Amino acid sequence: MDSLTHSRSIWKKAAPYLLIAPTIVWYGFFWARPVIQAFYGGFFDLNGHFTLDNYKFVFNDPYFLQAIFNTFFIAIVSVAVEFVLAFGLSLLINIRFKGAGVFLFIATIPMALPFVAIAAMWKAGLATYGWLNSFLYHVGLIAKNGKIVFMSGNKWPSIFVIIIIDAWGVIPSMMIILVAGMQNLNEELKEAGYIFGGTRLTVLRKITIPLLKSTITTALILRIISAIQIWAIITLMFGYLRLPTLVSQLVFYSDQRAPADPVYYQRALAYSVIVAIIISSIVILYLKVSGSFRKEENG
Amino acid sequence: MKKELQRNLVRTARTTTLYILVAGVAMVILFPIYFLVTMSLMSDFEMYNEWPLPMLPSFSMSFKLQNSQKGYLLSIYNKVDNTYLDMLDTNDTGYIINFVKRKTNCTLTREKLNEIIEELKNNSKVEFKLRKNFLLNYTLFFRLKKDAWPAFLRSIYTAVVTILISLSIGGMGGYAFSRYFFKGKNFLKLGVLFVRMFPAVATAIPAAIILGNMGLYDKPIGLAFIYSIGSIGLTIWITASIFLSIPVELEEAAQIFGTSKAGAFWHVTLPLALPGLAACAMYAFIGSWNEYAQAIILTQFNPTFPVVVFEYVLGATGMAHLATAGGMTLAIPAVIFYLFIRRYILRMWGGVRV
Repeated sequence: MDSLTHSRSIWKKAAPYLLIAPTIVWYGFFWARPVIQAFYGGFFDLNGHFTLDNYKFVFNDPYFLQAIFNTFFIAIVSVAVEFVLAFGLSLLINIRFKGAGVFLFIATIPMALPFVAIAAMWKAGLATYGWLNSFLYHVGLIAKNGKIVFMSGNKWPSIFVIIIIDAWGVIPSMMIILVAGMQNLNEELKEAGYIFGGTRLTVLRKITIPLLKSTITTALILRIISAIQIWAIITLMFGYLRLPTLVSQLVFYSDQRAPADPVYYQRALAYSVIVAIIISSIVILYLKVSGSFRKEENG
Repeated sequence: MKKELQRNLVRTARTTTLYILVAGVAMVILFPIYFLVTMSLMSDFEMYNEWPLPMLPSFSMSFKLQNSQKGYLLSIYNKVDNTYLDMLDTNDTGYIINFVKRKTNCTLTREKLNEIIEELKNNSKVEFKLRKNFLLNYTLFFRLKKDAWPAFLRSIYTAVVTILISLSIGGMGGYAFSRYFFKGKNFLKLGVLFVRMFPAVATAIPAAIILGNMGLYDKPIGLAFIYSIGSIGLTIWITASIFLSIPVELEEAAQIFGTSKAGAFWHVTLPLALPGLAACAMYAFIGSWNEYAQAIILTQFNPTFPVVVFEYVLGATGMAHLATAGGMTLAIPAVIFYLFIRRYILRMWGGVRV
């Protein structure tokens, strides 16, 4: 009897570790190992000799500087634009007008669509003979021979187009975070602001925004992390090398070049490491800001 | 009195501006989707021979057949310019049938064509109308892209395996997180979060090598192994909060009435957690179904459906009606599952009340 309870208590102590073990094994095998291999493999050639050539190739890649610039420029500008619009939309929803629920439903529809479908939709839309020009013509904004060439392929118009498409697809998720933050605000504080003579604008500036600070940081950082997805839209709209980004270079070398010449796998590994380092530093920043490093006492 | 009138006026003006703004934003969101749907139903002729594009796809097309020196001259009615466009001059009737189908998504049967040719002996021209096959773009997409259908099945298979792996492994983890305190719990929680946010595409190449050593490269099951990394983390998160909301006392009560701990879990906790687990499964499905970045690297001859659509959109110029049909086929399952678990998704993004 005594040994039975004893074995039971051992079982009880071991239970959480047994339950969590599969996760750890899975992560170790399919995540940690590839990560280590990426960092390690980037320093070797195909015959297993140590080399810096892969990184030399990346830093001398004529597309590398462009890729760095495009990645950061597009990420920063689109995040800024999307934040302003998402913030405006969430203020709108927070007025709680009649039909706000329906509006929220409509506004979150783009979250449901796969990125590839969104790209197909806009590619068909922004073609010179596409639906956007047709629509503009139907409502009388352009003449029949005044079609706007959205996809000229020049650098700045292309970046502009990409930012618009990305904003359409991504604003909803940012808006959701902000709406949630606003719903959790203490309404009394705002009322107090009005009682003491504040206008809508001063209440927004002095009360709402400061109280929303942590929500806003969360929304911004999460958005920056997911900004690496933009490469897919760029690639689908303009092909691989027109507007290169770090991830599109990675995919280009491993998918388009490597099958013919395996050395490109090693070079793409170097790109992988650079992407991984940039994104994980932002993730760590996020974890720090969101307070995830703080220890929980129980539960 | 006057003041009140003024106030009412201001209020009305304000509400009107508000609703105009709301309607405008809703339009910006809905219009592209509307066009995605309509374009996937349009024929090649509507897309590329008529401009501006009609706001509604047409249900039927009008044709005109005339005698010509070569044989027959086929014209198709352009609804925008209200004229017949001469499209084809040939004596090959099989080619005419084929052309009508490819260009306008209408089916011209051999009997109908023979009738018209018979009529042409007495008339200089015959005009006729055909009904459009509304969903032809969808079947055409699968017929033109030979690997689309196998890829579709592979995607479903991958998603199902991903769900099974992430529900079993992640569910166990979530239960541990909610019911026990153990060493390294905080670290693990942080780790799960970090792994989930880590750019998966950056590990795709070494993952391909590891799968290759296991003989699983370019196979759906290998993809599922990699996809489940992300969905295990998510499942742990969601299930932990579900199990937390189910009181331990319930399990203990069941144990008092004679079941084992496992029995209590199986008969009491699990049924209560079922809706949440279903949400996890759908979330895992959406994640796996929509994924393309890793799939491009982890597959070669056996791509998944999003990769097929990706390549089609990338390469398609002048095929927008088929590319949108492919995009729609990809989007429909994702949207359906999204609607099921919308509440969960919105709550996870920060606790929005809906």
